[in-house]
Amino acid sequence: MADTKSGRYASSSAAISPLVQGPENLECKNFQEYLRTRQTPETLEKFYHYPPICLAVFRELPEIARQFVIRILFIDQPVPQAVVSSWGAQKFAKEQAEATSCLSALNVWRVTAIPGGLAAWELSPTFKKSVRQALMGGGKPWPMTNTLDKDSKPRDIPFLDSYAMSRWRCVLHYMVGTGGRNGGSDAEAISPDAVRILLHANLMKRDERGGISITRQGFQFLLLDTRAQVWHFMLQYLETCEERGISLPECLSMLFQLSFATLGRDYSSEGMSNQMLTFLQHLREFGLVYQRKRKECRFYPTRLALNVTNKDAATATTAADEERMQERGYIVVETNYRVYAYTDSQLQVAVLGLFTELLYRFPNLVVGVLTRDAVRQALRGGITAEQIVSYLEQYAHPNMKLVESAIQSKSCLPPTVVDQIKLWEMERNRFTYTEGVVYNQFLSQNDFVTLRDYAQSINMLVWQNERTRTMVVQKNGHDDVKRYWKKYSK
Amino acid sequence: MDAADAATSTETEASIDLLVVVLDTNPSQHVVRQNPQNLTQILEAVIAFGNAHLMQKAQNKLAVLSCSHHATDFLYPLPGRQVELRQVDGQYEVFSLVEKTVKQQLGSILMNAPRLSSPCESLLAGSMSMALCYISRLQRNIGAGVKMHSRILVITGSNECASQYMTYMNVFFTAQKLNIVIDTCALDKTLSLLQQGCDITNGQFLKVTQLDGLLQYLLWVFLPSPQMRHKMVLPPPPKVDYRASCFCHRELIDIGYVCSVCLSVFCKYSPICTTCHTIFKMPGPLPIRPKKKKKPEKM
Repeated sequence: MADTKSGRYASSSAAISPLVQGPENLECKNFQEYLRTRQTPETLEKFYHYPPICLAVFRELPEIARQFVIRILFIDQPVPQAVVSSWGAQKFAKEQAEATSCLSALNVWRVTAIPGGLAAWELSPTFKKSVRQALMGGGKPWPMTNTLDKDSKPRDIPFLDSYAMSRWRCVLHYMVGTGGRNGGSDAEAISPDAVRILLHANLMKRDERGGISITRQGFQFLLLDTRAQVWHFMLQYLETCEERGISLPECLSMLFQLSFATLGRDYSSEGMSNQMLTFLQHLREFGLVYQRKRKECRFYPTRLALNVTNKDAATATTAADEERMQERGYIVVETNYRVYAYTDSQLQVAVLGLFTELLYRFPNLVVGVLTRDAVRQALRGGITAEQIVSYLEQYAHPNMKLVESAIQSKSCLPPTVVDQIKLWEMERNRFTYTEGVVYNQFLSQNDFVTLRDYAQSINMLVWQNERTRTMVVQKNGHDDVKRYWKKYSK
Repeated sequence: MDAADAATSTETEASIDLLVVVLDTNPSQHVVRQNPQNLTQILEAVIAFGNAHLMQKAQNKLAVLSCSHHATDFLYPLPGRQVELRQVDGQYEVFSLVEKTVKQQLGSILMNAPRLSSPCESLLAGSMSMALCYISRLQRNIGAGVKMHSRILVITGSNECASQYMTYMNVFFTAQKLNIVIDTCALDKTLSLLQQGCDITNGQFLKVTQLDGLLQYLLWVFLPSPQMRHKMVLPPPPKVDYRASCFCHRELIDIGYVCSVCLSVFCKYSPICTTCHTIFKMPGPLPIRPKKKKKPEKM
């Protein structure tokens, strides 16, 4: 009798190594994916009662889908599907199909029948109402827009930026553990709530000694740019908000309202429910809003809160709109793989240490070198080449951007270094993994050959060895082969 | 292939789309004279359209200019600090800012406009030049690595005036050089000059006969950004009348005289070019030249 074992099997006959990328890597979802995977049609419908959420959903749609929605927004009857599909050019039918399915998946529109038996599209009435309201007016004003008397000491944008960054850095510092060690001054502490979110998000974990330490995902998180970090963190926060008894749609609506707010302007928290006030306090802690005192009704959204879903919006502002919030770059990368980092921050050194071999440390300068071993170590830790490159790019020293390169590239890093890091990553991707079932311990060579030939004939054989009488069958072919074996052995 | 597609799509995401609407507010337009309410209706449609543009992407930008018989003014955005404004209803605050500013500005402009005794033509070409200036100023200010796609949408019910022919042509070719698309929505007459402009800059020209559906027309034809228009089915370009207007009487002509030095067009022969002051010889019978005799080569 053939013994079957199911399990993962590498087609190049190598044993399974722990480097198989499991679910433990950091998943970064954009808003659309979040809605698609986490939310049922009913919750989506609940979301669409809030115009800010609808506006955010609308902006997340593919561009063709946005055109479709806009065109049927002011039409009160359902529109036949054939008519809608005639709006897009034939050549882009695939893109159009994607847009259509995305709209259906997000429950923005649905199929209805119109007289005459034709299938038609109809926008979800709640969604339609909310978008119309956001666009044309009418309905209730959004909360937090109550009139305030003029702030006697209005806060300007540079102040808000530095405040936001210092708050956010607190969270990051806490993650690498430099916050606690430095004597725990007041500004460095973070609240138990924030810690709970970090734990929930798997960015940190409790170790054996009862302390809290950073996880692999945590390091990957540190490599993201600030905007992506904020978004990921907020998503994790939203997941825990039901447990705290805060309603998810309300939270999400508030978050987007902040994200659509105008920078440098004060808003009022008057008339908000207690839950929302707690939420506001949390946002205040992470630096998404600035509030002078806990009890004060006035708050300012900061740049961290603006356009949380859209990371491109930040880069695409005109210079007239004030300079960027980004921290000043401090990393210089040379073509000889040397990395010079002008920093004295533990956090930045720790992050850099993830993928470079540190050579020297000076009071304000760290010198390292990008070696194959160091980068491979990082890759083994689940960090991708893309993340390393984007981190180096994000914090590139301003002088790096001035260097005129003979090769026209968007990146300011030396192309050889970028390529090499990518090559080092590709080195590791020589295996393709196939889910399979092992058949072995055949009693006779004949049994083995018959079964192997059958498996081969239905194209389900992954690997076989006649000498050891072992064969591996794809998982979805297992039932077929088993049935054949039962029939054969009778 | 897929990777390349993804790259281009992220690139378009990271760019700024600027829409400059040039709205003809001349009271002597045919549609306005017919029924003054029409102007309000057009204005509402334009505001909704502008907001729909802003709604597409967070980084989209909008400017609205009004063009009249005597001046061109910015309706939105205003120089300096924006009007302090709180939401009064469910409308997104940026959108209500656009609506309030445009209406307020236009109101004050119309109130202060000099009285019209007889119908006057709108200074469309001048307004478009102003739009171009605005675009190029923004273009200069954007950060490195950011792309800006700009376009101008002209909405007018005025008649065409060939007197602005030169300005029009300068505007069109400047726009073409700067990769700015000019779209035109004609409310009354077919405008052959603007049609040429749209054709030159790859823009859309649309003549709307029914004012009732104006917003829907605008959303259909002019909302898709020029970069994605090839993905949508839009009205086919009409046959463009490429006649030039003559410099002497400002009329469109089929056949005329062209100055051999500066390429000015005239409908009648004149001995001196009015543009570059070149003196032409009277056209007489062609002189018969005696054939040159070849000189015997000296050895």
